[in-house]
Amino acid sequence: MSDDMRDRDRDRGDRGDRGERGGREGGSSRRKRFAMVADKNLVLDYKNPQLLKNFLSDRGKIVPARISGLSARQQRQLTKAIKRARMLALLPYTS
Amino acid sequence: MAQAATKGVVRSVSSKQGTQREYESVTILRPATSKPEIAALIERMQGMFGDFGGRLIKIDSWGTRILAFPVKHERKGIYLYWRYLGGSDIVAEFERLMGLSDKVIRFYTVKIDDDVDPEARPSEVTEELLEAASDPGPDPEELARKAAEEAARRAAEEAATARDRGDDDDDYYGDDDDDDEEND
Repeated sequence: MSDDMRDRDRDRGDRGDRGERGGREGGSSRRKRFAMVADKNLVLDYKNPQLLKNFLSDRGKIVPARISGLSARQQRQLTKAIKRARMLALLPYTS
Repeated sequence: MAQAATKGVVRSVSSKQGTQREYESVTILRPATSKPEIAALIERMQGMFGDFGGRLIKIDSWGTRILAFPVKHERKGIYLYWRYLGGSDIVAEFERLMGLSDKVIRFYTVKIDDDVDPEARPSEVTEELLEAASDPGPDPEELARKAAEEAARRAAEEAATARDRGDDDDDYYGDDDDDDEEND
């Protein structure tokens, strides 16, 4: 089986209709990030709900790191900060 | 007597002797709470800090804010931020008193730092700070309404001046530029 054939099989099996987006491997791993994530000294604190609001979806859900471009450590800080801010009614649980 | 000796002490084998912990708490008060009532609450808490060998380092009022969801049937709340030093039992006492107060609708405490030398951490609390902290601040809904009224008034004024200018423009023809501005 040629490489080409194998690729096509995988596309059909695992990725379904997202097959056309394949080619992440080999291509550049450039990810779109939120603008404020570029700041090296980004402090995600529950006392700053205006900043945290940027990392919530319209429904009030926490945006995944895949979308926001935060590092794993920052994402852990973010979830903690958002959950604390929710306890204090600074951010919504849902909306 | 023995209990008094343990006041302000952190009972943990992992913490250094003679050190305390630094905590911060945010409390939400009912929006109808008046300035003297907030001042009385702060005074009572300061008395408690003294009794428990702790110390209030900072207190700050974030003013009246609209809550993201209703808490105890309140849509707005006065946020009060406290930072203090203390031993193992200070948070339990702080939260017990907050729970007893009918002005407080919610509170949340976070440990900021371990092994803090109490001598090295001066208190920032002054008379002016206490005075400012007990101020509930303006009502955000009132502010928003005033801002909207102001914006509407300014828009009406601008529309009126634009209309006047439009009348003047009728006197001389062929001035397309002003018309473009009006469309904007």
